[in-house]
Amino acid sequence: MLKPNPLATITVLMAAILAVPSGAFAASHREAPITALDHKADITDFFAFVSYDKPDKVTFILSVDPLLEPANGPNYFPFDPNVLYAIKIDNNHDAVEDVWFEFRFTTEIRAPNVFTGFVGAGTGIPAPGNSPPPVAPGTPIVPPAITALDGPGSEGLNLRQRYTVTLARRGPGNSVKRTRLGGHMPLFALPSNVGPRTMPNYPSLFKQALYQVGHDVRVFAGTVEDPFWIDLGAAFDSLNFRTTGFNVPGVLSDAQDADDTRNFATDAVSGFNVNAIAIEVPVSLLTSDGKKHAASDPKATIGSWGTTSRQRVFVRRQPTTAREAQADDAWRQVQRMGNALINELLVGTGSKDRFSMDQPRNDSRFAPFFLDPLLARVLNAVYGIDIPAPPRNDLLPLVTYAPPIAAAGTPAGPVADLLRLNTGVPPTPVGKQKRLGLLAGDPAGFPNGRRLGDDVTDISARVVAGVLNPSFNKAPNNRIGDGVNVNDAPYKNTFPYLGLAWDGRNRRHLDPGEVGGGPVN
Amino acid sequence: MKAIWSLTGVLLFASVALGQADVKPTPAEARITQARGAIEKHPDYYQAYNDLALALARRARETGEPSHYDQAEEALKSSFRLQPDNFEGRKVQCWLLLGKHEFEKARELARELNRRAPDDVLVYGFLADANTELGDYPEAEAAAQWMLDLRPGNIPGLTRAAYLRELHGDVEGALELMRMAHDQTDPGELEDRAWLLTQIGHLHLVSGRQREAESALTEALHLFPRYHYALGALGTLRMEQKRWAEAVELLETRYAVAPHPENLYPLAEALERAGRSREARKAFRTFERQAVRESKGNDNANRELIFYYIEHANEPVRALRLAERESARRQDVYTLDAYAWALQANGRYREAQSQIERVLKAGARHPLFQSHASAIAAGLAQRASR
Repeated sequence: MLKPNPLATITVLMAAILAVPSGAFAASHREAPITALDHKADITDFFAFVSYDKPDKVTFILSVDPLLEPANGPNYFPFDPNVLYAIKIDNNHDAVEDVWFEFRFTTEIRAPNVFTGFVGAGTGIPAPGNSPPPVAPGTPIVPPAITALDGPGSEGLNLRQRYTVTLARRGPGNSVKRTRLGGHMPLFALPSNVGPRTMPNYPSLFKQALYQVGHDVRVFAGTVEDPFWIDLGAAFDSLNFRTTGFNVPGVLSDAQDADDTRNFATDAVSGFNVNAIAIEVPVSLLTSDGKKHAASDPKATIGSWGTTSRQRVFVRRQPTTAREAQADDAWRQVQRMGNALINELLVGTGSKDRFSMDQPRNDSRFAPFFLDPLLARVLNAVYGIDIPAPPRNDLLPLVTYAPPIAAAGTPAGPVADLLRLNTGVPPTPVGKQKRLGLLAGDPAGFPNGRRLGDDVTDISARVVAGVLNPSFNKAPNNRIGDGVNVNDAPYKNTFPYLGLAWDGRNRRHLDPGEVGGGPVN
Repeated sequence: MKAIWSLTGVLLFASVALGQADVKPTPAEARITQARGAIEKHPDYYQAYNDLALALARRARETGEPSHYDQAEEALKSSFRLQPDNFEGRKVQCWLLLGKHEFEKARELARELNRRAPDDVLVYGFLADANTELGDYPEAEAAAQWMLDLRPGNIPGLTRAAYLRELHGDVEGALELMRMAHDQTDPGELEDRAWLLTQIGHLHLVSGRQREAESALTEALHLFPRYHYALGALGTLRMEQKRWAEAVELLETRYAVAPHPENLYPLAEALERAGRSREARKAFRTFERQAVRESKGNDNANRELIFYYIEHANEPVRALRLAERESARRQDVYTLDAYAWALQANGRYREAQSQIERVLKAGARHPLFQSHASAIAAGLAQRASR
């Protein structure tokens, strides 16, 4: 007879084997230790806004895979076919997804013996007269430049990705109905911008990667310039910002603060690319009753978030029947993002993975991080700034359905990190948008949803410093900023609004000390 | 399960007696030396005491020597004096509670630590261990699943998932995970590897693959000579092969290395099978004396004692009393099986059946559980036909 397993002894094994690096986030976007090790599943940013040029539509953008160096051949940075990317929407204020979109990618290698993912030039280059045997002169060697995602002109697109988009909706009795959008039409992801010889007309490729997929939905997936901007190094050097507008580090002068067109410090993400998925959806597909509502109607406000998931390894090899019935359980959520910078700036390092993997409806367990954020206490300690005493109910609009985002009378729902968007608030036209969004009186900006140009770093820091509470809406609390006020590349004014990926041959990154890079110290 | 902690000294004395001063230190010994060196250099740095406590606990597993365990607690005290309530120290404390079989307390502490840092894979391991030992398998499984979800493929997560698979009757699945854990383990971690090979051997044995079991267990003993867990498992294999004399030899060595009553009981049984009845009787008597002495403690040999009362001493009432007490404390399948067997021995077939059903419901395919279940069913049928 064998004795029961000496289970308690297993524990010892852990000491030697599980040394996990802590605080290993190299970028704002690698907020949780586990995602720092899994770039492909690492969400850098999540955006949701009423389309600037189409007030009856909402655009969602999920960026993943941080700090892609545009010159990084030969394989560049495709999406991960083993990751399930999703954009989820709660429309009845219970922090559970009611409508969601799933994106899955497949990779094809079209010319296995070619040494790079992308190659091409002009109309193609044959072997010249001095070509050594056995390759005869005139034999095609370099395919034509890449000018198409499919068909002629796509020969050099050796590494190509297709994807599918599935619309899922929760129905009666918690049933889920899934619809493949676009039927069987091929959807190709936009590849990295390799350089002008290989891809002489990248904007044309970009346009080809836009697809109408039925239900009045448009999609885009591919490599783009990273739309985010921040003085990352300064932020994570214990808030060692370069700006000194009030003779206090990290505080902008009035003039700097009012300037939405210039940077006073380095955009550490400048010149880097990111992989992004964008989807434009009619409001009527999102709300609980399929209608568009005025801003004053509780039904107008939705909550959204993005997730990445991988296939799960189960404790049980043969899942139980109950589990088998739940197909979604076959996935392990690696990360999620609702509001910007919540996991980076507020959640404790020892809870970041748990936060990443949990569902927003369970976020009350993280409420202490939200409602007495350590970041506020760090601002207090490092800069001596006055901060409100906890509980910080002034922060509730970020984590519950509450005014000024949701209409008065909207059920607050549980404490949950969702990016809340009042779909009834008309979009602010391009050119009139303010980087400080709601704080600057631009009602269509963060934290009412999030647009590409919203300065979530400055907004979040100020909100954490208490400016939603009128008695703390004063200098220097309402002037905190990293000095990076604008992206290093222009956004587009139409879907998918994202800028073209930097080309690998001509890429560069801004440094402190150069024009637009801010001071060295 | 006192085996983990209890006294032997045999190994230590042997090496001293043979003058093996140049014997290579085991992984735990090396870590003890390192930690002591660190304390000498920085006596006011709490983490060094945590490291020492953990290394001592490791050494306790290598040898079964409980004085290491007391020293570990002393080291922890120093750690908490310097930095009260420090997280790493509290984790070691949780580990020690598990070692002392204070599962309820360990679970409580693990839950608290999990609230403090929900990303700590090791703390989920403590939750899995405590709940497994207490018989709360759904909670154990949830904790083990978190381990696999947070850090796919991590070794402690794999070993716990493997054990739960085995408990739920998936021996092949368990083997798969134990092998993965073994393949990932640093080759220098000799005792860790020996432990994993012992588990692999055990799983082969449960599946009736004696040759594979033998090879795994032999390798374990080669890596870590006189390893008490491997000696026990190999002894079981020899019993199944009816090679009684060899079984006696192996189990004798194991008992010499780790002289705990639960290690004496199978030795007594082997002696009996080997036809050495006088020695067997003596061994059983010693076993009973030792087991009764520690019966009220958490770390006891009550399960063996229950079987002893039923199978060898013809004292079913005492067996039942003990089983009732033990099952009030923990509801794991091994305890419930012993309880069912004690009920059956007292003619309380219906209650026995309801307990053994709880065991089988978990899915465990242990041959002993099956034979108990059949006997209980037969007892019920016989009563009905009367």
